[in-house]
Amino acid sequence: MELLASLSGLSNLGFLSPGLLLALLALPGLWWLLRMTPPPPKREVFPAIRLLSGLPQEEETPARTPWWLLALRLLIAVLIITALAHPVFAPGDRLSNRDGSVILVVDNGWASATGWSDRITTMDALLAEAERQARPVRLVTTAAREDGALPVVGDLMSARELRPVVQALQPRPWQTDRAATLKAMEVLTGEGAAEVFWIADGLEESAPTQNPGGQKAFSGMMSDEFALGLQKTGPVSVLRAPPAHLPRILTVDRAPSSDSKPGQSRFIVRRSAGSGSSEVTLVARDPEGRILDRRIARFAEDEKQVRLALDVPNDIRNKIARIDVDDEKTAAAVLLLDERWRRRSVGLVSGQNVEGDQPLLSSHFYLQKALVPVADTRTGDIDTLLKSPVSVMVLADVGRIVGRDRAQLSRWIDGGGVLVRFAGPRLAESGDDFVPVPLRTGNRVLAGAMTWSTPAALMPFEKSSPFHGLEIPDDVLIRQQVLAEPSANLSDRTWARLEDGTPIVTAEQRGQGWLVLVHATANADWSDLPFSGLFIGMLERLINLAHGVTPAIEGNRALKALEHLDAFGVLQSPLDAGKTLAAGDLVAPGRPPGFYGTDSTRQALNLGSALAAPRAFGPLPLSISDAGLEQQPELDFKPLLLTIATLLLIVDFIISLMMRGLIPGVPGTTARSAARRYTGLVLLVTGLVAVGASVSFAQETDDEFAMAASLDTRLAFIITGNTEVDAMSQAGLTALTEVVRRRTSVEGSSPLGVDPEIDELVFFPLIYWPVIPDMPRLSDVALARVDAYMKSGGTILFDTRDQQFVGVGNILGGATPEQARLRNLLRRLDVPPLIPVPPRHILTRAFYLMQDFPGRWSGGRVWVERHNGGVNDGVSGLVIGGHDWAAAWATDEQGNPLAAVVSEGQGQREKAYRFGINLVMYVLTGNYKADQVHVPALLERLGQ
Amino acid sequence: MTAPDKTRRLRAEHLGSTLLPLMVEAERVAATVAQGVHGRRRTGAGETFWQFRQYQPGDTPNMIDWRQSAKSDRVFIREREWEAAQTVWFWCDRSPSMNYASRKDITSKQDRAILLSLATAALLVRGGEYVSLMDADFSPATGRAALLRLTSELEAESGFRANSLPPSADLPRYADVIWISDFLSPLAEVEARAKTMAAAGIRGTMLQILDPAEVDLPFRGHVRFEGLEGEDGHSVGKANSLRQPYAQRLQSRQTALAELAGRLGWTFLTHQTDKTAQSALMNLYQALSPGRGAAG
Repeated sequence: MELLASLSGLSNLGFLSPGLLLALLALPGLWWLLRMTPPPPKREVFPAIRLLSGLPQEEETPARTPWWLLALRLLIAVLIITALAHPVFAPGDRLSNRDGSVILVVDNGWASATGWSDRITTMDALLAEAERQARPVRLVTTAAREDGALPVVGDLMSARELRPVVQALQPRPWQTDRAATLKAMEVLTGEGAAEVFWIADGLEESAPTQNPGGQKAFSGMMSDEFALGLQKTGPVSVLRAPPAHLPRILTVDRAPSSDSKPGQSRFIVRRSAGSGSSEVTLVARDPEGRILDRRIARFAEDEKQVRLALDVPNDIRNKIARIDVDDEKTAAAVLLLDERWRRRSVGLVSGQNVEGDQPLLSSHFYLQKALVPVADTRTGDIDTLLKSPVSVMVLADVGRIVGRDRAQLSRWIDGGGVLVRFAGPRLAESGDDFVPVPLRTGNRVLAGAMTWSTPAALMPFEKSSPFHGLEIPDDVLIRQQVLAEPSANLSDRTWARLEDGTPIVTAEQRGQGWLVLVHATANADWSDLPFSGLFIGMLERLINLAHGVTPAIEGNRALKALEHLDAFGVLQSPLDAGKTLAAGDLVAPGRPPGFYGTDSTRQALNLGSALAAPRAFGPLPLSISDAGLEQQPELDFKPLLLTIATLLLIVDFIISLMMRGLIPGVPGTTARSAARRYTGLVLLVTGLVAVGASVSFAQETDDEFAMAASLDTRLAFIITGNTEVDAMSQAGLTALTEVVRRRTSVEGSSPLGVDPEIDELVFFPLIYWPVIPDMPRLSDVALARVDAYMKSGGTILFDTRDQQFVGVGNILGGATPEQARLRNLLRRLDVPPLIPVPPRHILTRAFYLMQDFPGRWSGGRVWVERHNGGVNDGVSGLVIGGHDWAAAWATDEQGNPLAAVVSEGQGQREKAYRFGINLVMYVLTGNYKADQVHVPALLERLGQ
Repeated sequence: MTAPDKTRRLRAEHLGSTLLPLMVEAERVAATVAQGVHGRRRTGAGETFWQFRQYQPGDTPNMIDWRQSAKSDRVFIREREWEAAQTVWFWCDRSPSMNYASRKDITSKQDRAILLSLATAALLVRGGEYVSLMDADFSPATGRAALLRLTSELEAESGFRANSLPPSADLPRYADVIWISDFLSPLAEVEARAKTMAAAGIRGTMLQILDPAEVDLPFRGHVRFEGLEGEDGHSVGKANSLRQPYAQRLQSRQTALAELAGRLGWTFLTHQTDKTAQSALMNLYQALSPGRGAAG
């Protein structure tokens, strides 16, 4: 539309190289030439060619270029010639036809960023005019330069020289300084006649001045004053945008308001008066620029400011990095948010199954309740929690931190994370050394059947403790705790003690973060602490240790510049990294808005806080002409014409190809069906799409394993890499599955071999793990998988297959290489305490009643988890023994046993099968057979 | 046998499934006549009773049917019906020019020619006749096995044979020949070959298969035609202007071929590949059926 409008005033159309238009005279020649050169013939295969030869032809050179193709080609030629002649639409005559220089005074403060291209266009038009009149031009900018130097007056230059300077001119993200500009221009008085154009931003200056009262005040030179000052040099024209296009300013609303809620952030958008009603949209973005929230408010007629509240969930609010006024491209319409805005998030990890049988007694419940008012909580395992940043991580009774998690955690602590661990049965039994102070194994029971001592209260917190000042209720008693090994630095690391002086909270600083251990549980098992308000207070203090609060600028230590906002509100890397920010500094020339500090403690400096409410220019003196900006740039038609010519050339090329029948899929014969011509193209596109689609094919292979493993109930065995052992495992489990199918209602499919390094384990109810001495060390990934498998309810049968060497072996004290290897492996896993299978264990009665569990060998002990109360339906995650069961189960295809069993012969093999069946029933059905334990009591009750 | 062969054979058999088994009228007896199952409605060697005839001098006494003669005073001879099978020789043009289809939705001339050959052969075999293929190591045979062999022979070299005329190999006299081609090779050669065969008493049926493009010449504008058998290219300024003279030329060639067939007592049929194979098969069937002598 614009183009059409401009074409209507064709008198303004000029050619920069009109000489080239003479080439149009050559068009008739081109016409003739094109007519003379027929297009090459189509090629047709034709079997009956013998009948054709010698037929009389009516015309000797009948094939002509069709007229429309001729016209198309001539049009291309015309377009190219016209484009080369460089037609330009050039309006504008602002300059009076006088001699003398032209002075361009340009406001290049932040407020000019709106419509900056219009300003450049205006200056360009002025320069073009000055060039036509051959008048020298001088450029004066009113804002200070990057280094903070005051505005200076440029030299006189020809318009041609000045044009690149003007094109490269950028607005600065701070205020103009018109008073200083006027001062600098005093040099010019008396230089002779000059015409002054002030390309104004349209806003009155409001430089902040620090007055003694601490109240912010603003001052600045008024526009009419400045215009009159300019007039000393020559006649002045003010060129500025209409008031509706003046920039708006976004600031934080700190004024208390009756309807504000805690956790709500409020903002004000200000504008200059008299712009009618309009909408304003606030957009909140994360550091990557993705939009998180959007709020719309409306300026009523003549309203100068509007308030908006951002009411978003905490985790979203924590992600907000900047808020800007939509469609407004100035630095004042951007609010950068730093860490002061963030709430800290706390990750909760539990060694127990989260969805345990008694959720209201779990550590999680207590922690969750205590943390909700203080911080955002997330639950998960360590790996997932660390994937997104957390400030604090709470581990409730996690005995061992396994594998990769450990390295990750310690890296995270070094980077400023705060890890709070709570003790519990697991930590007490088999804790690791990832604690602030070395611990004794086992716990100390203060109040119990076997002790004389009474539950202990807390000692008042010492001054050095972060808990100092918290009030200790009388009724908080600790009944059980884990004890620290006495050491030299124990008391330094102790933050809270019991009355008898034993530490109840210890901490150690690691890197920038903290490792804190509470020597009691996070639920009420060991103490009353979780019931009390003190618990919440202590957690709050611990969370405050974490990053998330930007420390105030200490002393005179200035913050280095990290990122700058340019005048358009875009973050840039700082031009001068030496720029610093001291406390209380506002945006000023040379100190642009942006982020200052270090990457971990960033502080945002926003332009809006350094500005007063925007005010449009008042009435200007009558002697000064006041006009709008140039909206219409000089239109250069050359690129447009060349583009059209190129497109037409491509069309011509395609037509030529079609006429020669060279486009694949276009049968050469005739235009019998137009659609068929495009078959080739369609095929090509379809091919490309197909290639794209095939990329996604690769994912399917992984699913195959999962489908095979989960669609049927299968036993699994670990592939050790030893062919003999693996074959035996396979045969053994296959035979066991068959026996189980025959005797019970479990219908299993053939067993699968798995490799914990590669395969996911969670699909299998039972994994048979033959231990061989040269088993490769598991990677962290595999360890995590095994750990997750056991915690999510799977059972692993570790078989050291070495009973013949042990005699009466003990898995914890034995010494065969297999046992050593197994111990090595278990040490890296979070293994609960183990006991030999007790006489009334469900394993002894899950299907058959049996008290020993022979395999190929017999006589050894079989170990299971001790604490299997409510978790995973009481099924032990581990069964450990050395009877080489797989060999006892294994048969060949005819059902003949593969390995001899010692001592009892077939009777023992039958027992081995019975153990296998018991084990399978145990892992599949859980504790329902445990009811038998109560049978005598039930019978007794029935008898009454 | 590969899958396409099989489908083609099944297609061919299906094509003829609606027609009665075809039995070639054997007025003149080919030298290779073998014993067949069809009575020729005349006396001759065979197993089926045909008629009793009174003994005439010259008949050998062992021809006398004593049982019949004992019923009356005369002496009768038992005559049997002449049962013989005719052998039909196929010539299916498999030169490159047959391997042409002007559009994608119609079959090539080659495909149609093979299909028609097989369909006819299938009908003949069902009628108990013997079929054979000229220019191939193929002794006359009948039955399903012959059909299978014929299929694979035709498939083997389709579109790659150099010769577009049947060989002048010595066929047995009075054989039947079905000559399927596009008849686009020079007329004089066709005529010479046909006359040679006719001189040997061979009865022929010529089927000209043409692509619709070869009939209508639908091309327009500046076209350079290129042959399939190494003919010189031929540039035409305005292809549509050639349509009329081309059609005349084709017409005159077909007339010439029809006349030739008439002179030799042969049959000349035409077929376009955009028509159904069924129609062509009907024509062939009628041309070969015994009834044609009476009809024509």
